[in-house]
Amino acid sequence: MKPRIALLMAALAVLVLVPAAGAEELPYVYTKWKHFTTEDGLPNDHIYSVKVDGPRVWVGTEDGLALIDTPSGKVVKTWKEEDGLPWRAVTAIDVDPNTGDVWLGLFGGGLARLSGGRFDHWHQLNSGLVNDVVYGVAVEHDNVWAATTAGASRYNTRTGEWAIFTEKNAPMEEIWNYGVDYADGKIHLAVWGSGVLEFDVATERWKEYVDPDGEMEIDLYRDDGINHVITTGADFVDGVLWVSTYFGGTRYDGRHWKGYAEQDGGMPSDFVNFVKGRSAQEALYCTDKGLGIITDGPGDTWVVYTRDPDTGRGRARVTKSGEVVELVDMPISLTHSFTIAADIDGNDLWVGTGEGLALAIGEGYYPGLRERRLYAYGPPAPGAPGAEAAAGHAEGGDGAAEDEGR
Amino acid sequence: MTTVRWLRLGVAVGAAFAVAGAIAHAQAEKQPVYVGALACAECHEGHGTGNQYSHWLLSSHAKAWASLALPEAKEMARLSGITDVPEESPICLGCHATAADAEEWERVEGFRLEDGVQCEKCHGPGSEYMLVMGDPQAAMRAGLRKFTKRDCEVCHYVKGSHVAVHNTPKVDVDEAWERLSHPIPEGGAETPGSPLRAGSTEGLSDAGPHFTGTHTCGECHRGPMMGYQYSLWRLSPHARAYASLSTPAARQRAKEMGVDEAPQTSPACLRCHVTGGGRSVAALESFSPMEGVGCESCHGAGSEYSPEGVMRDPVAARKAGLLPLTEETCARCHEDAHGKGFDFEAASAAIAHPLASSGSADAGRNNGGGPRANGGSLVSAAHDVPESVLEAARYSPEALSGEERRAKVRASLEVEYKTPVNLAFTPDGGEVYVACESSGTVVVVDAKRRQKVAEIKVGGHAHDVAFGPEGRRAYVSNRLDDSVSVIDVAARRVVRTIPVGDEPHGLLTDRTGRTLFVANTAGDSVSVIDIESGEEKRRLPASRDPWSVSLSPGGERVLVTNALSRFVGFRRPSMSEVTVVGADGRIDDRWVVPGANLLMGVDWHPSGDYALVTLNRTKNLVPMTRILQGWTITNGIGLLWADGRVDQLLLDEPNHYFADVADVAFSPDGRTALVTSSGTDSVAVIDLEKLVALVRGAGDEERREVLPNHLGQSLAFVSAHVPTKNSPRGVTFAPDGHTAWVANALDDSLTVIDAEAWEPVARVDLGGPRVATHIRWGEQLFHSANIAFQRQFSCHTCHPDGHVDGLTYDIEPDGIGVSPVDNRTLRGIYDTDPFKWEGTNVSLARQCGARLAVFFTRIDPFTPGELQALNDYTVTVPRPPNRYRPLGAELTEAQRRGKRIFERAYANDGRELAPTERCVHCHFAPYYTDRTQHNVGTQHPLDREGVFDVPHLNNIYDSAPYLHNGIAPTLEEIWTRHNPYDRHGVTNDMTKDQLNDLIEYLKTL
Repeated sequence: MKPRIALLMAALAVLVLVPAAGAEELPYVYTKWKHFTTEDGLPNDHIYSVKVDGPRVWVGTEDGLALIDTPSGKVVKTWKEEDGLPWRAVTAIDVDPNTGDVWLGLFGGGLARLSGGRFDHWHQLNSGLVNDVVYGVAVEHDNVWAATTAGASRYNTRTGEWAIFTEKNAPMEEIWNYGVDYADGKIHLAVWGSGVLEFDVATERWKEYVDPDGEMEIDLYRDDGINHVITTGADFVDGVLWVSTYFGGTRYDGRHWKGYAEQDGGMPSDFVNFVKGRSAQEALYCTDKGLGIITDGPGDTWVVYTRDPDTGRGRARVTKSGEVVELVDMPISLTHSFTIAADIDGNDLWVGTGEGLALAIGEGYYPGLRERRLYAYGPPAPGAPGAEAAAGHAEGGDGAAEDEGR
Repeated sequence: MTTVRWLRLGVAVGAAFAVAGAIAHAQAEKQPVYVGALACAECHEGHGTGNQYSHWLLSSHAKAWASLALPEAKEMARLSGITDVPEESPICLGCHATAADAEEWERVEGFRLEDGVQCEKCHGPGSEYMLVMGDPQAAMRAGLRKFTKRDCEVCHYVKGSHVAVHNTPKVDVDEAWERLSHPIPEGGAETPGSPLRAGSTEGLSDAGPHFTGTHTCGECHRGPMMGYQYSLWRLSPHARAYASLSTPAARQRAKEMGVDEAPQTSPACLRCHVTGGGRSVAALESFSPMEGVGCESCHGAGSEYSPEGVMRDPVAARKAGLLPLTEETCARCHEDAHGKGFDFEAASAAIAHPLASSGSADAGRNNGGGPRANGGSLVSAAHDVPESVLEAARYSPEALSGEERRAKVRASLEVEYKTPVNLAFTPDGGEVYVACESSGTVVVVDAKRRQKVAEIKVGGHAHDVAFGPEGRRAYVSNRLDDSVSVIDVAARRVVRTIPVGDEPHGLLTDRTGRTLFVANTAGDSVSVIDIESGEEKRRLPASRDPWSVSLSPGGERVLVTNALSRFVGFRRPSMSEVTVVGADGRIDDRWVVPGANLLMGVDWHPSGDYALVTLNRTKNLVPMTRILQGWTITNGIGLLWADGRVDQLLLDEPNHYFADVADVAFSPDGRTALVTSSGTDSVAVIDLEKLVALVRGAGDEERREVLPNHLGQSLAFVSAHVPTKNSPRGVTFAPDGHTAWVANALDDSLTVIDAEAWEPVARVDLGGPRVATHIRWGEQLFHSANIAFQRQFSCHTCHPDGHVDGLTYDIEPDGIGVSPVDNRTLRGIYDTDPFKWEGTNVSLARQCGARLAVFFTRIDPFTPGELQALNDYTVTVPRPPNRYRPLGAELTEAQRRGKRIFERAYANDGRELAPTERCVHCHFAPYYTDRTQHNVGTQHPLDREGVFDVPHLNNIYDSAPYLHNGIAPTLEEIWTRHNPYDRHGVTNDMTKDQLNDLIEYLKTL
């Protein structure tokens, strides 16, 4: 081979094989955000629930329901009790994919349906709903499930039959149902004190997922089941069950369990209000100290979004196996670090917090991990690891666009 | 006490608890089930027990089920609006059989529904107490009921439907009690029962034919298609032949014959009085000689020929032992029997049991071939009815004597009308399809010749008809069958039947012809059907009682009218809805029409700018005494603008109302609309230009407050009234716009209206009877507003389809503003008297007579003749089938648990409930009313008293709201809100799931 050609080939090999300075397998980071508060038309800033419905987003708050039109990005309609909303606090929302009817769980008000602008209301006195404190709602074919503080109710919209599931007819040690989800022929109930109960719609059989440790204080043996029975949410996506508890999170793929705890360095907090699965690898954990996204489950790469209460600026913390690898600074992220609800809208995320609703705009979003350079999405926060290298890289004039991992 | 003694005591106490618990658990585990009279006969037969079983066999109770095969039973059923054949009707079986409402598992093998009113009807299901009968206390603990004469009156009260047919006097319960009494004779001991057992095969060869028992034959040889053969036998003396041997007369006769032993054990007597002659015969377990002279007495032991495959082949059947009936067969026993002569011809005629003329074995197999099963009807078509019957049925304006009236009713039931309710032109305008409710057919009319050319059988109570855009298919809603018939227009036949929701009314296809929209009236929903697959894509929640549908000219929207107002709270103004469905088959919007109800007809203006609906504005919140300013019910139209704004205008005039607005149609040129008034037999012609100008020229407040209540305004836009025939309903324009066609429901005709002169130019006869029968006349009176002051309303106004308008009224007799009462259904009210919520009207005659005139209609009352016809029609209003539990269907788990709660005798804490605290005390089958009045703690501050008539509960799920004043929109609220002191049954101890189960069971009644 002629020397010149060999040199060229060597240079090419270096370019291909040697990663660019600072490049490694990293997750996507949301750095473009938008906020919605009462100033933008929301009826209240305490966001309890959020549900994406095609080009619409339904937002349940402590005092009213709102509808956002996503193409325009505006709150287009709100309902309070004076507008016909049967009860002010909307804790849960689901949409019937067949009819488009919107089902609302009301905290102390039972169950409501918004259809064609009309609210229909079911509560303990006028129906077979077991309890008016409804935490979760899920549509399963002709049935609507409600997770309530006194058990789960299932309402058949055709026959009008109400079924109640409690410790009498389900493996419910406690009956305080915090959440309900339907996917792939299975209903999952997240029950405070009873773990996750799985109901097979076809066979009408129950299966329970509890913490085999039986320990309330600690997760004695890791990855042997859900890490705690005080569960707040369950989401079944692509064959993977994601679980949130007040003591961390869990992932179960049908064979292997994986627990997530704050002490491992990834999760922002063990106090998890809600979980939303995006895929078998990715899930959003809404905690009291920020939104944590596991991006490579069963791995341990997290992106945690928080808001600095003093400056109002946003921050994204990327960790791998508990080590912080990126700490990205951004003008805004969440409206508040106390996150309560979330939903996925294509590449975007909607996150409900204790002080408003945040929209994370996922331009160039990619799932999982991809090789990119550090701080490709935004500048490092002061003192962030890899900041100097990133600064040097930035001075070198590399455009962020080149390294966005596309 | 020493330790050992404590231990012993502890063990003893523990053991006692364990045993008691086991007993309690065992008792709790064993729910009694029905065993059947034959099982009772194991012990309760024979001279020692007073021949109790035979005593029953000789009674009418044993024939109760079989009597449902008689023509009189069919007549009573028809009179009561029962659409099933009596043998399959839960209402009829509720009194004529035992455990008809029980599930399969609640009846052991060997129990026979066909045994009619048998032991366990009175004494309760016997599987547990039959084991401990020697101990009366134990037996009662195990379920043996101590029944009273009140229990007899559950079934034996005077039923109008029965009196109307057979006019037998009220059953004297005291006398019947004595007659049916069957005590064990003093000094008598329970014998092991009749020595007559099923034939034993001991010592006999297993080969060869065995007796199977007549009941086995009856599994196929029953029902109308088989000529009710089994029932005829049960009604005949042959079925009582064995039992008759128990009578004193039989014993006397035996003595005279030199027979010393009891006739029921004497071979000399049994030779003729039981199948098999009382010998040891080869028999299957299903055979009992106590059946008397059964099928096999004449036709031979049936085990070889009874299988269906053999029976269908006469040659094979004979080879297998089927014997024909000959004179010799009868003569063996009847020739010179007991000194009596025997006329074979007369006798064989008396017991003749041919197949029905169109009979088939399949149809007889527990398939009564009822009207819904094959789309047929219990009565013949008009052309099949002899002239003599028509004449006998012809109405008479004079009051009729009892017998005359019964004869007229009987004859009337033989006559079937068409009752056209809706119609549609084929897209090419060549034909008109007319949906006919009474006949369950679609009549096809040639539009040019204006003549009927065909009639197509569809389902029960055909209501509406619509064409696909290409005209190749027509769709017909069958509101009795919960289905849509798809007609191949070219072939003029039904090619498919699509199940939809409850009681479908209006229907149409979208512009592509791929989607069908059906308003399910009783289901409060709209079915969206994919036509090609016949699958329901989705079911949309409408409002209450969706009625008609109309597609916008551009095809982007379907409007659905809803006949009942939304639930608005006690004594609040009505709030009705027009549901707007988008082209994607989802709810787009819901337009509210305040202060209105009975929104029925709907049509879009060709421009698509607005639609018209028909409506009532019922002033149910003010007393009916206020005649001024619209009195009780005004009638008009709603103008629904495309942007959702709603205007309302009346079609009434100050001294002349336009009662029962039924349908609306626009002329193709968009200049005129026609609205039918079924109560006044006329059609209003609306000048749309004037109408729109009037509305647009009015200010907002005028449109909102004045126009909807202005009686004079119709003169500004109604240009003419066109008289039609009796009870016009559906209206449509011919595609060319030259004529409009109206369905005259109670004239079996169409009126053709010239669309320029606005005059009727033709009457198209649909082929119904030319004679108005007694009942038909009653129907016409029911639908006519002539009875009301200024023709404001008819009976039909508040009772569309014989049902309810969902409103609460303040009626004067108890005082102004006092005791508002909920409207009640007329479906299935026969035999549920007294009427009125306070139970003060003992009969329909009183309900609808002079009092009606004083407090409702305000002019002359119905004449006596009219009143008879009206009442005789009203009780025939059909009751739809119960959609939650067809006869014979198993209960769901929840319903089963609910039934136990409904029937429970103990509260959750173990306390025994007094009989008056139990649901079944007042609400028992078949009507679930004891027809008396009780105070159940529901008196409202507006009520003058708190004692109310017990309502019947059949199909209760379909008649919300509940309680006397309609204050409970749902069944749950009857107990969650309105039973705080457990006066309406003990319910406050129930858990929520128990209440849910109870509700699920109530829905099955």
